[in-house]
Amino acid sequence: MSPIKSPLKSWRSSLVFRVTTTIVSLTIIVIWLIGSALETQISSGIFDEKLRLSIADAQSTARNTQIQLTFSPYQDKAALKLIFTEILAVPPRSFESSARELAVFSFANTNSKFKYAGTSNLVDPISIPESFREKTRKSTATQWERTKLKYVDGKTESAIVVGHVLTIKGAGKYELYVISSLAQQSRTMSLILQYLWLTGVALTFLIGLITFFVLRRLISPIRDAAKVAEELTAGNLELRMDIQGEDEIASLGYSFNEMAVSLQQQISRLENLSKLQQRFVSDVSHELRTPLTTIRMASQVIHATKESFEPTVARSSELLISQIDRFESLLTDLLEVSRFDAQAAVLEIEEVDITALVKETIDYLHPSQDRIIHLWAPDEPVMVDIDPRRIKRIIRNLIANAVDHREDKSVDVQIEQTENEVSIGVRDYGVGFNYTDKKLLFERFWRADSSRARTTGGTGLGLSIALEDAKLHQGEIDVWGERGRGAHFVLTIPKFAGGSIQSKPISAQPD
Amino acid sequence: MTLIMVVDDDQDLAEMLGIVLTGAGYEVDLVSRGDEVMPLFTAQNPDLILLDVMLPGLNGVEVCKLIREKSMVPIVMLSAKGDKQDVVAGLEAGADDYMVKPFDPSELVARMKVRLRRSTAEVSTDLQIGNIKIDQIEHSIIRDGQIIALTRLEFDLLVALAKEPGRVFTREALLSEVWGYRPATDTRLVNVHIQRLRSKIEIDPENPKIILTVRGVGYKAGVPGSPQ
Repeated sequence: MSPIKSPLKSWRSSLVFRVTTTIVSLTIIVIWLIGSALETQISSGIFDEKLRLSIADAQSTARNTQIQLTFSPYQDKAALKLIFTEILAVPPRSFESSARELAVFSFANTNSKFKYAGTSNLVDPISIPESFREKTRKSTATQWERTKLKYVDGKTESAIVVGHVLTIKGAGKYELYVISSLAQQSRTMSLILQYLWLTGVALTFLIGLITFFVLRRLISPIRDAAKVAEELTAGNLELRMDIQGEDEIASLGYSFNEMAVSLQQQISRLENLSKLQQRFVSDVSHELRTPLTTIRMASQVIHATKESFEPTVARSSELLISQIDRFESLLTDLLEVSRFDAQAAVLEIEEVDITALVKETIDYLHPSQDRIIHLWAPDEPVMVDIDPRRIKRIIRNLIANAVDHREDKSVDVQIEQTENEVSIGVRDYGVGFNYTDKKLLFERFWRADSSRARTTGGTGLGLSIALEDAKLHQGEIDVWGERGRGAHFVLTIPKFAGGSIQSKPISAQPD
Repeated sequence: MTLIMVVDDDQDLAEMLGIVLTGAGYEVDLVSRGDEVMPLFTAQNPDLILLDVMLPGLNGVEVCKLIREKSMVPIVMLSAKGDKQDVVAGLEAGADDYMVKPFDPSELVARMKVRLRRSTAEVSTDLQIGNIKIDQIEHSIIRDGQIIALTRLEFDLLVALAKEPGRVFTREALLSEVWGYRPATDTRLVNVHIQRLRSKIEIDPENPKIILTVRGVGYKAGVPGSPQ
């Protein structure tokens, strides 16, 4: 299991996470809206129904009471009181049904002989607001209002109160109130609300889950494709995508695999070409070298007895030998170049002290002329992972070039290092070159000045090979030069195999 | 007289080699096919073999292996390719040295001389390297009472290291000391032969105790008498 990513990172990196989160958020909003609308609708529906019942109930109660009072045989206070008491003797609320309470008040201007105020079941008279009583007294129609039903013991419930005016001949007017508790409706409402919530949460969760799995299923071929593409890039050309079914995803898979096949064919075609080239190089090498060896030995045998020749023949034998040498180095360089072209050049890495290697090269080139070449190097060994044969060849080439073009001035060789790179700079103060020729320097057989350079020898392939050798090490060769001021060649390579250059300890541009 | 066997399918080159080597004072035997080498080798018993890599009948590397099964005679391969695989294959088959065509005949003669030189009697003491005794007069080496067969080059390499136990030899130093090379030549020669030598004398060649590698520099001898 991979460690849990931060939400922000998941948001950016995972399409599944992003889409699922979006869909879940939208679902929450929609469910909340629908839920609120439903709640309003249902609660008002329930209330309206209750109100209708309450009013009907109050009206019938009022009519009954009115009839009872009107047709009562007794028209004195005691009889009135008896009737009211009877009316108010409502049974207390049973366990499951809502409370229904009554209250009766005599009008303020009623003869004191018939004054009466009473409620059922210890209902506090303040449950009926004075403003509502005022309204009821002034009107002949049925009035209603929402209120809080309060008992003397402090219990309260939300309720509807419906008011009526009773008129009793000879006694005056009385207010009759029927209070219906809404407790039952509140309970129903909260139950419905609870279910609405539960349904909402479950729905959100389900939609999230379904989205997640459907997306995962959709995305997994794309993930596979990405993985296979990575493997292909890494060189595992045999790998293909698994394809199931015949849908759009499968057709993506087919196209992807076709691409991989054509890629593999192209690569193997190029590999074959490269192998063919290598074979050719190797064959040419063998066929040319054997006769060259014979010629060389023959020329040496002839040269060894040149004292007995006429001067022209003796000189000819000398020319023969020097040209055979030149031919040989040209052949060697050409083979090396074609090896680079065929990408058949391989590094043989060793850990080497580069200072020692540069010193050896200088000694090899100029065993006795150390006054011409000055070496500036760190005191401690500079250990690097390189192919010593190739790096030596680069350094030999750069120093030999500098010595050839120095015009009796000295040559400075400098070694500098940083943590991961090492630079070797070769600076001469001789003829130099036009800075615009900088790029041409590394072209094969290019010569700065064809009329004079020919005498200084070299095959014309040296710098081109040096550049290829440097590239093989992930290194670079920087150049600076100016006519009459000399030239500066800087080889920079990473110290460790597989590294790359981040900085350059020596800059080619002189201060 | 010293007899050199020259094995090369190129008639002109073989003849030229014959002229040069005869001029240098050697007796020369020319062979042009790989499969003809073994019968002639047993009959003539040459002192050194110059062996081309590409041969009809049987290639040079195979011939080299066949000779090594019978003899420790010095073998110098003549390679026209100079590519790593060919050189290493030749050296691993038991060749002591190799020359890449086109070579300088004087250099060839110089190197042959190094391979042919007998160890002089100037050092008569027995040398010790690790738990190996080197008898320079008998030209043999003994480990735990057992004689180990080495080619002359391997013997020279071991002696060079053992003579100066404290010294760290660079590959270049070993090249000039044992092979008689100028500096700045191919150091793969040293690597391959050190490995061959280790496989013969070390108890665990992966974890050498007699010939130690000094990283980034070269090789040195293990402490004499140290347990393996």
